[in-house]
Amino acid sequence: MIHFKKVLFEFNNGSGIKDTSFNIESGEYVCIIGPTGAGKTTLLKLIYMDIFPQKGEVIVDKYNSKKIKNKEIANLRRNVGMVFQNPQLLNDRSVFENISIPLHIQGLGLKYIKNQVNEVLSKLGIEDKKNHFPNQCSGGEQQIISLARELVKNPIVILADEPTGNLDPASSLKVLRMLEEINNEGTAVLMATHNFTLVEDRGYQFMQIKEGEVTL
Amino acid sequence: MIDRILYLLSEGIRGLLRTKITAIATIITIGITSSFVMISAQFGENLSQFVDIVRNQYELQIFFKEDVDETKALNIISKLNELEEINSSRLITKDEAAKIFENEFGENIFDILNYNPLPYGSVVEISPDKNNSIDVNLLSKKILNIDGVDEVRFQGKLISVIERYYRFFFIFLTITSSLILFATIILISNTIRLTIYARKDLIKVLKLAGATNNFIKVPFLLEGIFEGILGSIIASLISFSTFELVNYFLSNFSNYTLNWSFQLNLILFFTIIFFSWIGSIRAVKKFL
Repeated sequence: MIHFKKVLFEFNNGSGIKDTSFNIESGEYVCIIGPTGAGKTTLLKLIYMDIFPQKGEVIVDKYNSKKIKNKEIANLRRNVGMVFQNPQLLNDRSVFENISIPLHIQGLGLKYIKNQVNEVLSKLGIEDKKNHFPNQCSGGEQQIISLARELVKNPIVILADEPTGNLDPASSLKVLRMLEEINNEGTAVLMATHNFTLVEDRGYQFMQIKEGEVTL
Repeated sequence: MIDRILYLLSEGIRGLLRTKITAIATIITIGITSSFVMISAQFGENLSQFVDIVRNQYELQIFFKEDVDETKALNIISKLNELEEINSSRLITKDEAAKIFENEFGENIFDILNYNPLPYGSVVEISPDKNNSIDVNLLSKKILNIDGVDEVRFQGKLISVIERYYRFFFIFLTITSSLILFATIILISNTIRLTIYARKDLIKVLKLAGATNNFIKVPFLLEGIFEGILGSIIASLISFSTFELVNYFLSNFSNYTLNWSFQLNLILFFTIIFFSWIGSIRAVKKFL
């Protein structure tokens, strides 16, 4: 599903990803471990094609970084969920409206959107927050809302970039459990974190990244 | 598809509501500046109609020489009718001239002088469909060259003064309207630019959620168009009210009323919206 073939992406200061090859298949849960600045975010950006390799190729589902057109990048992102350290919610919209954004982009009907969003809200146990605004929710809840916004798309993979970075241990654990539940239903999860102790006993596959070099 | 269109429309309206103060300031500015264009254009239209009325009343009075008798007068009339600028010419006999004199001065010329010294003459109407291209001074010279013609009188000076002012007004209106419409583009463009900066977060979220560039751009374009529509409505109301007010004051001392053309207003209404659209396209292309 995700294939890196001899990928090179270097920033001007020399950091980035160096000659990296690996495969991630559907349904896998992979944890990318590495210190800050090691290249974890760069690797995820290459997957959702925010940046493109200077050498080699990245293949995600049917999309190849060498051949993909601008319009297809939008299609790729409709199938890839992205969760960041900062939940990136819109504070002037309710939780329901935030979660429904990806479905409006796909041009789906209002009735379908309502059902789908309600289903995800109830699955993640935040249906009571439906009409709240993000700034009325806690940090952990905001991260779960951002996860719901990605989950509503029925993505093939969820890319999580330090999703617990701003959370207390209890909220972090809650987010991890939710990602695991999502993974149990067949969605691949690729999570980047610098906090190894948080994930070391959870039975994930690990990918270590250090100074741009990836080891499995 | 309809759901997507409705969503984009609602996003455009919501965008306008989210940046209320900027949007209201922009709409009022467009309304006030565009009302100047609308009022000037309506006034220009009225002036143009007035000039047309004056032009259609072009009438030349021709006085023949004293020695011209009826046969020679009829000969001059046929020569006048041969001129392409002339629509019709009517012979004024000596008796008719005496009647005109009596009507104008209240006395019979026979009673004063015991004879009629008034010459034969003619009243000439210029072809109405050629009024725009006729040089009345030149025509007057042509007529004076006809043997037997003594004098040609017309209201040329008044008409040429009105036409000169009309031309000046037309140039002034064209220049100021162009400047105002250009300012509308810049104004809308800057407002949309500010809106784009204010909604960087939304744009980022939309891009990550798989929105195409057009999906992101459309609400901003709609916002510019909505601002143009609301500005145009304000301008139309100001223009209509101004004409109503002027007509109210005119009615106190004149029967003449200014005409407010709905069609002309509609054209200007859509012109302003069109320029607002150009303004938003400019901002979206530059900053998105």
